[in-house]
Amino acid sequence: MKIAVCIKQVQSRDSQPRLDEARTWIRAQDAAFEMNEPDAYALEESLRLKEKHGGEVVVCSAGPARVAQVLREALARGADRAIHVQGDTLAAADAFVVSAALAGAMKDETFDLILTGLQSDDQGFGQTGVILAERLGLPHATIIMDVQVSAGPPATLRVKRELEAGWFQWVGMPLPAVLTIQSGINQLRYATLKGIMAAKKKEIRVAAPEAVAAPRQRIVALYAPEKSKKTQLIGGSPAEAAKELVRKLREEARVI
Amino acid sequence: MQTIAFWVLFVAFIGAFAAQVATRVRLIAAAPGAFALDDMGGRLQRFLVDVVLQARTIRERPLVGLAHAFVFWGFVAFAGYTTVEFLRGLGIADLTETRWFFAYRVVLVPFATAVLGGILFLLVRRAVFRPATLGSTVSIESIVIALFIATLMATFLLAFNLDEASVAGRVNWWVHMLVILAFLALIPASKHLHLVLSPVTVFLKSPELGRIPNLDFEKEEIGLETVKDLGKKAVLDALTCVECGRCQVNCPAFGAGKELNPKTIILQAQHALLAGERDRKLGEVFSEKVLWQCTTCGACENQCPVGIEHTPIIIGARRGLVSNGEAPEYLGSMYNHLERRKNIWGLGYDQRQKFVTSAALEIFDPAKHDVLVWLGCAGAFEADFQKSLRSLFDILRARQIRFGVLSKEQCTGDPAKRTGNEYMFQELATANIDELKAAGPKKILTSCPHCVKTIGEDYRRFGYEVEIVHSSVFVAGLMRDVRPAPTKPGAHETVTFHDPCYLGRYAGKVDEPRELLTKFGGGNVELKEPVRNRDNPFCCGAGGGLLFADKEEEPGSRISDVRFKQLQDTGAGTVVTACPFCSIMLKGAQTSAPANNVQFVDLMTFVRDRHITKSPDQQIP
Amino acid sequence: MILVIAEHRGGKLNRASWEAVAAAQQLAASQPVAIAVLGSNIGSIATELAAAQVQEVVTLDSPALEPYTPDGFTAALQQAIDQLKPSIVVLPHTYQTRDFAPKLAARLDRALITDVTGIKLEPRAPSPELRFVRPMFQGKLTADVAPEGPAPHIVTVQIGSFRADAAAKGASAAPVRALAVTIDAAAIRQKPEPPFQEARQAVDLSQAERIVSVGRGIKEADKLPVAQGLATALHAELAASRPICDAGWLPMERQVGSSGQTVAPKLYLALGISGAIQHLVGMKGSQTIVAINKDADAPIFEVADYGIVGDLFEIVPAMIEALKA
Repeated sequence: MKIAVCIKQVQSRDSQPRLDEARTWIRAQDAAFEMNEPDAYALEESLRLKEKHGGEVVVCSAGPARVAQVLREALARGADRAIHVQGDTLAAADAFVVSAALAGAMKDETFDLILTGLQSDDQGFGQTGVILAERLGLPHATIIMDVQVSAGPPATLRVKRELEAGWFQWVGMPLPAVLTIQSGINQLRYATLKGIMAAKKKEIRVAAPEAVAAPRQRIVALYAPEKSKKTQLIGGSPAEAAKELVRKLREEARVI
Repeated sequence: MQTIAFWVLFVAFIGAFAAQVATRVRLIAAAPGAFALDDMGGRLQRFLVDVVLQARTIRERPLVGLAHAFVFWGFVAFAGYTTVEFLRGLGIADLTETRWFFAYRVVLVPFATAVLGGILFLLVRRAVFRPATLGSTVSIESIVIALFIATLMATFLLAFNLDEASVAGRVNWWVHMLVILAFLALIPASKHLHLVLSPVTVFLKSPELGRIPNLDFEKEEIGLETVKDLGKKAVLDALTCVECGRCQVNCPAFGAGKELNPKTIILQAQHALLAGERDRKLGEVFSEKVLWQCTTCGACENQCPVGIEHTPIIIGARRGLVSNGEAPEYLGSMYNHLERRKNIWGLGYDQRQKFVTSAALEIFDPAKHDVLVWLGCAGAFEADFQKSLRSLFDILRARQIRFGVLSKEQCTGDPAKRTGNEYMFQELATANIDELKAAGPKKILTSCPHCVKTIGEDYRRFGYEVEIVHSSVFVAGLMRDVRPAPTKPGAHETVTFHDPCYLGRYAGKVDEPRELLTKFGGGNVELKEPVRNRDNPFCCGAGGGLLFADKEEEPGSRISDVRFKQLQDTGAGTVVTACPFCSIMLKGAQTSAPANNVQFVDLMTFVRDRHITKSPDQQIP
Repeated sequence: MILVIAEHRGGKLNRASWEAVAAAQQLAASQPVAIAVLGSNIGSIATELAAAQVQEVVTLDSPALEPYTPDGFTAALQQAIDQLKPSIVVLPHTYQTRDFAPKLAARLDRALITDVTGIKLEPRAPSPELRFVRPMFQGKLTADVAPEGPAPHIVTVQIGSFRADAAAKGASAAPVRALAVTIDAAAIRQKPEPPFQEARQAVDLSQAERIVSVGRGIKEADKLPVAQGLATALHAELAASRPICDAGWLPMERQVGSSGQTVAPKLYLALGISGAIQHLVGMKGSQTIVAINKDADAPIFEVADYGIVGDLFEIVPAMIEALKA
């Protein structure tokens, strides 16, 4: 099976993101970057499928030169080779632009399966995978918990979609297809020493973005939210405090 | 005639001895690596104390140790006698008629008596009383050797009463010599090889407890995968083991009923080496499951009287497994947390920042501050331990010690190093060293004993040397001039102190915490000692990655449960801790134990609450 | 015209559809609002929707649209949008919407802004511009996003951001009409099986939306019904910290923490739990954390959004009463 995994390099979840001068994106200097966490689960799923069905795993990413770091991480975990669509503006671009860049670099390879994380930790629109599927003319399914491949021929897919409130659904699809993978569905393997050493010898093909799509959204302003995460201690008699707590949960937090 | 016969026997038995020794020497020579010879002074001192004075053998088991010491000293004393008799037997020289030889023999009589008494005591203990640490079956070979030794002493003493020329005298002499020759042939094939090896092993033992050298990634070193990867010292260790069981008896995992047994590990290695199983995987030799039960407390290595270093073997084998992706699941998620968030719990860095702000901590500046306080994972993220750190800060401020913290701190890498993920460790270490070098502290203060070991010793291998002390040591030093607290009438409490393995055993700091407890407890606090304490504590069960392993363990059989019971049995109402992980494990054990009222307090909070009452800028009494 | 796409399953209208209607009505100002609903034999759903104060309800009724597939819905909505020509399309940000809305946006090559929590109108020349407010960077920052390119612009609204009961109802039922759409069933590549609820484990805390969790503060096993009562009143799952499961008062599947389950519900209510780190790492991802504990110094208060320092045996029954109101 030839599997592609699209991964994004995002700013580390750790630090508070700092705004750039225009206050429409974050400052990239002095920031730490890491692999988007949902994409890490997609990568793990692809490696498991490779272990089960044989084949190769190709990781793809669009962004500036620093994106090579997450590609190396993916190679160290077991991916076979990488495609880097290089472009400085791709890091903050929207899903229409990024998916066009990825589709351009990927269309010449006949992938059986393309996996992405369900959304990114930075923008979090959750669109790139699905738009990529539409651009490549492939069927898709989102928020997938389980992937089963039957070799066929013809090769088919049976995937488990997560629905609201503890419901699930199995869906059958032909291959090739695109899936967006839910976080936490498997145990991420760590990069072993042997993997890290082997990764140094694996190929990263750098490609310039061919197709240039028009962006379909613009971040006009980026700012810190008003609500800060401080503990609200509710006082009063037990009956009063209980009543106030229920009220806050209803009206403020809106969880009941 | 006799001489010829003697020569024949001599050559045959020495030949047998040499051949077997040669096999073992070849195994050591074939092993990779080299012997370290740093700190000659320390090595010589330890040689004197542990080998010549037999201190380690006597300490753990005084009576048995003394008996063994007699046997050892007797052997050494008899060396001259044996040489002279061999020279006579081989017809090379006969010094037996000289006056000094006669005097020598007389001096040897008390030695011989001591040896005879000692060996008979040990023989009866082994054959009749059969202590559990010596194994379930009685070793015939040990009985034979014991009888040999007894015979040697008996024949020596008999010689005084027998006429040398008489038949009885000659038979006595021949028995003596034949026993020596037989003994020689038996030594290499048994644990008695320690007679030859152990002084060497003790001398070659690392001056640092639990020394785990860096892996060299340029050379593609990945750790110990197969038997042939065991280094020279490890092979020497495996061949030296005397099977005394001191490591087993002190191992907390073994004491909590787990399969891990450090003695078995060493003997399994020995067996595999002697059987020539060079390509056999260590994970199979030791059984993988067992390797993950080690907390790296160091008790085994510390108690061993013959210089065996268990920790590098266990961690080395872990490295081999981890490099191949075979770490247990709970460690996999710990590694992911370390990689992404640089702390073992995967918590966001803004939490550390929250603490720094709320405790009004300054960023370290060598021009302004005397010491750098290293928060560590627990200090940065664990709300409970942060209370202890706040106490420490109050004490420092009250004593006008100017201190600051790093703006960026990552986990020291201790959990990665001790579980065998050397790559992760080196990533974290090199990043921290860059930060530390940039900050340039002369002295680092921390409340986590693991950080003390890692920054103080493991970081040295990257060329970074700095003085780092545990808070108990620093504060004890600060308070030397403070008068002990007065006794308040009526307020009496019993406390007990749980020595952290990495403070009491690794760093050897056992007096400072007690100094603080007695000084600030005053007459109101009675200090009780648990069964395993000071430089031989019973581990809390957190080290070596086991902090995250409690899913695998049955309640009641956890190392922490065993230790909690030991602390509870002192009758103390309060347990004082000086390590965040001891605190986590023991508090967890306390809530899981049957209903009890045991309280916990961190040492710094204990001191602070008694030294500084209401206002932080209280005058020194 | 603002077009709302409603959602239903198993003959039941998803409540979130009303939230989308409320959002659309807020957006609309002087423009009319219409609602579209897709499926097969959806007459009763349409009637229900007709209660809203909207211009009309259109149905895209075809056997090929039941069950839901992204291929089917995209094809149908592409035609509907072509016919109705809305300026904005509003959907609730549900699992189903996330599955097809980006495909529809790509098909039409039109802007899609997802997970919107608020809508602003910025005064601009020649005409005011819409800004859609949404969280970014895991909620650490908020963004005002403007759609680019020609209409229609598609927007999905975060569940709970707009109140379903704020959707205005009409004085009389809005007209319902069927929209003619042709779907080639053979071109639909997905073959869905019926949805199901997981029965593999009796308890799956990782799926629970609300959890009531007990710790040592509950004191004895026979006091557990106090916590269970609150769980029932909140439609929540019951969970516990390690000592409770160690003692056998609750089964191991209900343990939350580093040696148990990791959970991230919308609401996590910790009763008598001190908040030792081994427990915290199992629930720190919860959206809203409430702590009730006698000990004001308990570490759990460091991570709680709301806290009450007090006796849970007095507070919990009072909460159950307040929930009934």
